[in-house]
Amino acid sequence: MSQATAKKNGVWATIWEYMTTVDHKKIAILYLIAGGFFFVLGGIEAMLIRIQLAVPNNDFLSAGLFNEVITMHGTTMIFLAAMPLLFAFMNATVPLQIGARDVAFPFLNSLGVWLFIFGGIFLNLSWFLGGAPDAGWTSYASLSIASPGHGVDFYALGLQVSGAGTLISGINFVTTIITMRAPGMTYMRMPLMTWTTLVAGVLIVFAFPPLTVGLFLLIFDRMFGSNFFIVEAGGNTIIWEHLFWIFGHPEVYILILPAFGIFSEIFSTFARKRLFGYSAMVFATVLIGFFGFMVWAHHMFTVGLGPTANAIFALATMAIAVPTGIKIFNWIFTIWGGSIEFTTPMLYALAFIPSFVMGGVTGIMQAVAPADYQYHDSYFIVAHFHYVIVGGVVFALLAGLHYYWPLMFATMLSEKLGKITFWLFFIGFHMTFLIQHFLGLWGMPRRVFTYLDGQGYNAANMISSLGAGLMALGVIVLVINIIITVAKNQKVGRDPWGDGRTLEWSLPLPVPYYNFAQIPLVRGLDAFWIEKKEGNGEMLPAESLDDFHMPNNSIIPFVMSLGLFVASFGALYFASGKEWAIDAVADLPVRPWAFWVLVIGLAITFISMITRSFKDDLGYYVTKEEVLRDLEEQERGAK
Amino acid sequence: MAELEAKSMTDTQLRNLRRQRTKEMRLQLTGFSFMIFLTFMAFGMVALDFNATFIMGIVMLFAFIQVVLQFYYFMHMKDKGHEFAKLFMVVGMFFAIAFCVTFIYIVWIGQPI
Repeated sequence: MSQATAKKNGVWATIWEYMTTVDHKKIAILYLIAGGFFFVLGGIEAMLIRIQLAVPNNDFLSAGLFNEVITMHGTTMIFLAAMPLLFAFMNATVPLQIGARDVAFPFLNSLGVWLFIFGGIFLNLSWFLGGAPDAGWTSYASLSIASPGHGVDFYALGLQVSGAGTLISGINFVTTIITMRAPGMTYMRMPLMTWTTLVAGVLIVFAFPPLTVGLFLLIFDRMFGSNFFIVEAGGNTIIWEHLFWIFGHPEVYILILPAFGIFSEIFSTFARKRLFGYSAMVFATVLIGFFGFMVWAHHMFTVGLGPTANAIFALATMAIAVPTGIKIFNWIFTIWGGSIEFTTPMLYALAFIPSFVMGGVTGIMQAVAPADYQYHDSYFIVAHFHYVIVGGVVFALLAGLHYYWPLMFATMLSEKLGKITFWLFFIGFHMTFLIQHFLGLWGMPRRVFTYLDGQGYNAANMISSLGAGLMALGVIVLVINIIITVAKNQKVGRDPWGDGRTLEWSLPLPVPYYNFAQIPLVRGLDAFWIEKKEGNGEMLPAESLDDFHMPNNSIIPFVMSLGLFVASFGALYFASGKEWAIDAVADLPVRPWAFWVLVIGLAITFISMITRSFKDDLGYYVTKEEVLRDLEEQERGAK
Repeated sequence: MAELEAKSMTDTQLRNLRRQRTKEMRLQLTGFSFMIFLTFMAFGMVALDFNATFIMGIVMLFAFIQVVLQFYYFMHMKDKGHEFAKLFMVVGMFFAIAFCVTFIYIVWIGQPI
C-alpha cells in the first residue's frame, strides 16, 4: 500500500504521501520542516527587535509594531518552533528506541501535526489581516481584553488549535512508551530520550488543559460576550495569570526535559561511556516533572499574593535546583574519563553545561521572592530565560539536528560547517544575553520599544545586537549546510556515528517504513552497545519472521484540522461590530458571514470525525516475502 | 493492533473465563445496588427534612464512597494493569486540589496570606 505510493515518483505523489502519512518518521520530517520554518520566522522577529534596540531613540519599528513583534517572537518560538522541533526528534527516535513499529495511535500522530501546522499558520496570518497580537506572549487578560483589533483573537484561536495538537501528541507518546516497548525493554532500560519524552508527555497531559481552559475563557470574553476577565462586570484578570502560569511553568519543563534527553544520549555516545548514574537521572527527571507543577506562582511574586504564599512558592522553586544539579553532575561524570570525540553535537552538549548552569543560577536568584521585586520585568529576566531556553533548548535542538539527521534522512550534515555554526551561535548567544543581565541590574525594563540616550544603556545594547547578528549568521551557515547536504545526497549506512548505543542505531539507513523486520530482544540498558560488545553486533530477534500489521494512510486528519482552521475565522470575526462586543472590536465593520463560516468549519471537522468513526479501517499486512526481500537487499548492500 | 482471527480456547479455559465473568458480574451488581441504595438514602434524608448541616456531611460522605466505588469497580481500578491509570489519577487529583486551594484562597477570598 505505501509501497505502491512510494513507487510513483511525481512531486504530487510525494506531497499526497506526506499529507496522508501516519508513519512517525515522515511526521517527524513534517514537524522538522514546519518547526524549522517558524524558527526562522521567530528569528527574523528577534532580529527586528535587536535592530530597534541597537541604538537609543530608534524609530526603526513604531511602538505598536514593536509590541506585535515581541509578542509574536515569544509565541512563535515557544509554541511553534521549540515544541514542534522537539516533537520532530521525539517522533524520529522514540518508537525506534523502544523497538516499536509505530506510535500507539498513528492516526492521532498525524492529527497532532496538522493541528499544529494549521494553528501556526492561523496565528501568523494575523500579520496580513489587521495586525498581530500585541499583549505579550503571556497575554495577561488586563492587556489582552483591551487590545484593539483582532490581534489577540488570532493568538487565542491559533494557540487553541495548535495546543489541541500538542495535547493529542502528548497522550500519544505516553501511551506509546507505556504499552509498546519491545520484549526486555523494562522501564529502567529505556534510554534517557525516551524517559524524558515520557515525563514531558505526562506534563503535557496535565499542563495543557489549564491553558485550554484559560484560552477558552479569553475566547468567550473577546468573541462571545462573557465576563470572566472583565473587571467592570465582576470578572478577575488574576485568574488568567494563574491559569496561564499553571500551564506556563510546566511548559518550561516540557521544553527542557526532552532537551536533557537529547544531551544525555549525545554525552554517552561521544564520551563512549554508559551514562553515569542512570537511575539517579531517571529519578531526577521524574522529580523535576513533579516539582514543575508546584511553582507556577513564582512568576507572580509581585502580584501581591502575600508573604506566606510567596515563601511557599519560593521554597518549592529552590527545591527544583536539587534534581537539576544531580543531572548536571551526572553529565560531568559521564564525560569524565571517557574517550571524548568532539563532533558538532558533542560541542553543543559541552557548551550546554556552563550555559544552562548560568541560566539556572539566575533562576534561583529570582526564586528569592524579595529579591525578585528588584529583578521583575527588567532585562535581568530576559537574560535569565534566554539562557535557559537558548542555552538549554535551542542548543539541544541544534545538537539533535546534527545528531539525528542521519537517522531521519540517511545523509550526514557537514561537520566543518556544523562547527562554524556552533562557534558563531555560541559566541553570539553569550554576547547577546550575558550583557543583558547587567542591563537589567542597571535598571532597563523589558518590553520597552526604545530608551533615551545618556542612561548608560547604549554600549551594552549595541553589543547585544551585534551578538544577535552572529547568531543569525550561524543559522544562515546551518541553512547552507542543510542545502548542500540535501543537494549532495551522499547516503550513509547503519550506525553512521560509529558509537551508537541505543536501538535506533541498530537499524539499516534509510530506516524501512516498518522499522523492525523482527521486533528486537533487549538485554539491557544501551541495547545495541551490549550486542556490539557481547554479541555479534546484531540485535537478537524476539519473534519469528512473519506477516505483521501496519496502519493505512489517511487524509482525514488533514481535513479535520482544516475544518478547525476555517471555524477559527468564523469565531474571530463573530463579535466584529456587534453591540454586545467588548470595546476592542465594537467599532469594526460587522461581518454577517462570520457565523456561517464558524458553522461550516465545525461541520467539516465533525463530519470527518463521524466518517472516521463509521468507516472501518483495519490497516494492512506486510508480508513475510516482502520483508525477506528487503533483508536480502540489505545483505547485498552491506557486501 | 488486534489480531483479526482469535484462537479457539480449550474447555477448561472457557470454564474458567465463565466463572471469572460470573464473579465479576456479581460484584458489579452488588456495587450497583449499593450505590442506588446510597442515592435513595440521600434523597430520603432531604425528603424527611433532617438537619441541613447533618445532611450535608452525610451526603458528602456518600458521594465520596460512590466515587471510590465508581473508580474501583466500574472503571476497573482494582484490576491488574491499571497502575499507571491509578498513578495518573492520584497525581492529577493532587494537582487539581492544589490549584483549587490556591484559587479559593488567593483569587476568590482575595486576602493576601
